[in-house]
Amino acid sequence: MLSMNDRFASTLRTTQELLQQWGVVVAFVVLFGISTWNQGFDFLNAENFRALLNSHAPVGILAIGMTLVIICGGIDLSVGSIVVLAAAIGVTTMNALIERSTSESNAVLVGAIVTLLCGVAAGSLNGVLVVFGRIAPFIATLGGLAAFRSMSLAVADAGEIRSQSATLFGSLGRGGIPLPFLENAVGKQLTLSYSTVIFFSLAAIAQWMLSRARFGRHIIAVGANETAARYAGLPIAWIRFRVYALMGLFAGIAALIQSSRMNSVSTAQLGLGNELDAIAAVVIGGTSLRGGFGRVWGTVVGVLILGMITNILTISGVSPYWQGAVKGGVIVLAVLVQRGSRG
Amino acid sequence: MSVIGTHEPDSSASRRIALRAQSVTVDYPGVRALDRVTLDFRRNEIHAIIGENGAGKSTLMQVLCGSLAPTHGTVVRNGVTMRFARPSDAMRAGIAMVHQELNLVETLNVAENISLGREPTRFGGVVIDRQRQLARARELLAAFGAEIDPAAQTGDLSIAQAQFVEIAKCIASEAEVLILDEPTAVLGARESARLLTLLRQLRDAGRAILFITHHLDEVVAVADRISVLRDGLLVTSFERDASGVLRGHNALPVDEIALARAMVGRELGSIYPIKGSSSTPDPAIELVNFGARGRSREINVSVAPGEIVGIAGLVGSGRTESAEAIVGLREREGVVRIAGRAVRFSGVRAAMREGVVYVSEDRKGRGLHTTLSTSVNMTLPTLDAATRFAGLWLDESHERGVTARWIHALVIRCARPEHAINSLSGGNQQKVALARWLETKPRVLIIDEPTRGVDVGAKAEIYAIIARLAREGLACLVISSELPELIGIAHRVVVLRNGTVAGELSREQLLETDCEEQIMRLASGVFETAGCSR
Repeated sequence: MLSMNDRFASTLRTTQELLQQWGVVVAFVVLFGISTWNQGFDFLNAENFRALLNSHAPVGILAIGMTLVIICGGIDLSVGSIVVLAAAIGVTTMNALIERSTSESNAVLVGAIVTLLCGVAAGSLNGVLVVFGRIAPFIATLGGLAAFRSMSLAVADAGEIRSQSATLFGSLGRGGIPLPFLENAVGKQLTLSYSTVIFFSLAAIAQWMLSRARFGRHIIAVGANETAARYAGLPIAWIRFRVYALMGLFAGIAALIQSSRMNSVSTAQLGLGNELDAIAAVVIGGTSLRGGFGRVWGTVVGVLILGMITNILTISGVSPYWQGAVKGGVIVLAVLVQRGSRG
Repeated sequence: MSVIGTHEPDSSASRRIALRAQSVTVDYPGVRALDRVTLDFRRNEIHAIIGENGAGKSTLMQVLCGSLAPTHGTVVRNGVTMRFARPSDAMRAGIAMVHQELNLVETLNVAENISLGREPTRFGGVVIDRQRQLARARELLAAFGAEIDPAAQTGDLSIAQAQFVEIAKCIASEAEVLILDEPTAVLGARESARLLTLLRQLRDAGRAILFITHHLDEVVAVADRISVLRDGLLVTSFERDASGVLRGHNALPVDEIALARAMVGRELGSIYPIKGSSSTPDPAIELVNFGARGRSREINVSVAPGEIVGIAGLVGSGRTESAEAIVGLREREGVVRIAGRAVRFSGVRAAMREGVVYVSEDRKGRGLHTTLSTSVNMTLPTLDAATRFAGLWLDESHERGVTARWIHALVIRCARPEHAINSLSGGNQQKVALARWLETKPRVLIIDEPTRGVDVGAKAEIYAIIARLAREGLACLVISSELPELIGIAHRVVVLRNGTVAGELSREQLLETDCEEQIMRLASGVFETAGCSR
């Protein structure tokens, strides 16, 4: 009797898990089909895809880190502000070195490292507040959201920090690997941007870590049930701290890409609202906000879905004011589907 | 013992019946928590319900106060059959319950809590009449001599005071039937006495009072009628006669000891393995003046390799807290010695390295990750052994091997180890919860409620596993609320009460027929053995 019920329940669960697992892919394919059918070549061409990936890679990188944070049972609202603070400090450092006539390449290298370290430092601060200060992640990182941006505004008097590096610094964000046989409408050769390569590489590493490394297993166990993880002898504090520090590193990488692409940092604009896009991508990708379950590849598809929505609305000439409404609808829909299939 | 049938009541007696449970049955998946229980609760009467943990007392209370719908049977109030969908339905029918977990709003003051939802108002319900609210609360609290300021913030009250406020709240609701679930569990002796006096006053004022307790001395002191539940069945009842003597249905007077026997009265079955012997005199683990922080530090226990020591005690006696304090899940006082060396563990991992492991009583919340797979659960404490290259590579074949080995060794019925563990039965989950710690090759196993929520077949298997582990030289501390289980598998049983060792039963004493009563008496603090006629 019981085992029959068990078997039935497990079959049902398997079906639901399959639906859940591929729902985001189905959504992607449907959206892709609609875009192609509606806009034809304007959407379906290499130049457009290159631009789409390129513009969403920084948010995508944040979303990968956010996936780990959320699986671990937390949230990080401060990532957009970490981006602007890390970029502001990094570029300021670089400029100072160039003005002291350090060689440009050394200055760029030091500036890049400082950007990444700032990200790690800010993420670690979040980790300390959440883990050792026992402040709810939402509150601690809400504080970071306000504080980090305000600090970067203070650094630049709310203005723009222009990079003093003529070409070298910008080449990281603008450059890429040439793609043979692919040219744009005016015959210029297309490149796969470094930022896109970094995005997919980090995604692959994070996905592998989640399913194949001890740290990933620990993240899942802590997120699924922190008390049970403590009773199983896992070093809870250390695991959670590292997740936030890692999130900071990812924010530092996104900061480096964005500041180098613009070759400047607009302290009022850079990274603004990135935390919400990142969380949206994670949710659309099927990661549970309750923690304990999630996948990085889903987040990648989530980023692409968000990118396509913006992209198709832009090409179809829909007012950019409506883009938020459409995105919002997709996010709520994703959560509804998630809840429906996971009980 | 026979089940007492419903009386053929004369009309005056039936008019006294305020509430009746009519053939109430409650089925949980795989367990019948209550089996055709029929009980009457009369006005001007204190009716105590007693029984072991898991006998069905709390289930019965839940049915009566509307928070649980019975599978079969009905609740009859003043002769009318009721169907409660939620506790507020029962409240409206004049049935109020004082829960073990108090339901006070800590940010409101005492008077506001007491009149919550029934605030006295002025100007046609627009403004709360604070003067009347305070006066009413003061009057109620004074009525049972509680020195509590009605304007005090509820969050600042002691647990005992909060309990009084909770009771005052129920009285203020003018409920005719009051249900109290272990009201004295959190109270000291003086406060308990005062509460019992209050219950007598309420009874004399015409209320019907139902009261669950583990303290048999209180039952004997205050109850007019006592019903004993065991394994979901009403096994017997006692009634106080006109001269104030409690008598059973055979008209013989009863005392606490007879009550304890009625609660546990059960033969030990053959589900228990043959006990091995432990010959090593050197203890594997020694607790000296030990206790969880904030508890008295008076636990002195040692366990030798190959020995199974049972820990008995009521809920709240500090059994689980002590076990958690040993493995570093709680702060502790006193000394723990492992193989003669004093140790202090910073956490489960440190304890595990010294060979001390703890299997939690709370399988779903703490012992296992129910949403994760069987193999993930199996290897979580020993994940380091399954990883290569500084944790960067998880060797899944190693993981599968460990899982398969334990599935085979403990006969765990699990078709797909990669599926979520909550698809397994309770018994098989329990085996995984045990196996994951055996994989660490422990010297000392502390297992808390080893068979909670486990069916009888799996129970016998788990007992056999524990006995086998002991024969192989493991020192086992088994904590359990099920006395037959402790008596059946342990070499000796240590009884805890209020964080202190209340007594110990040797292997020889465990063979005596009245050993369950002895444990019960030690656990509930009833020491006098003389003066009972049987």
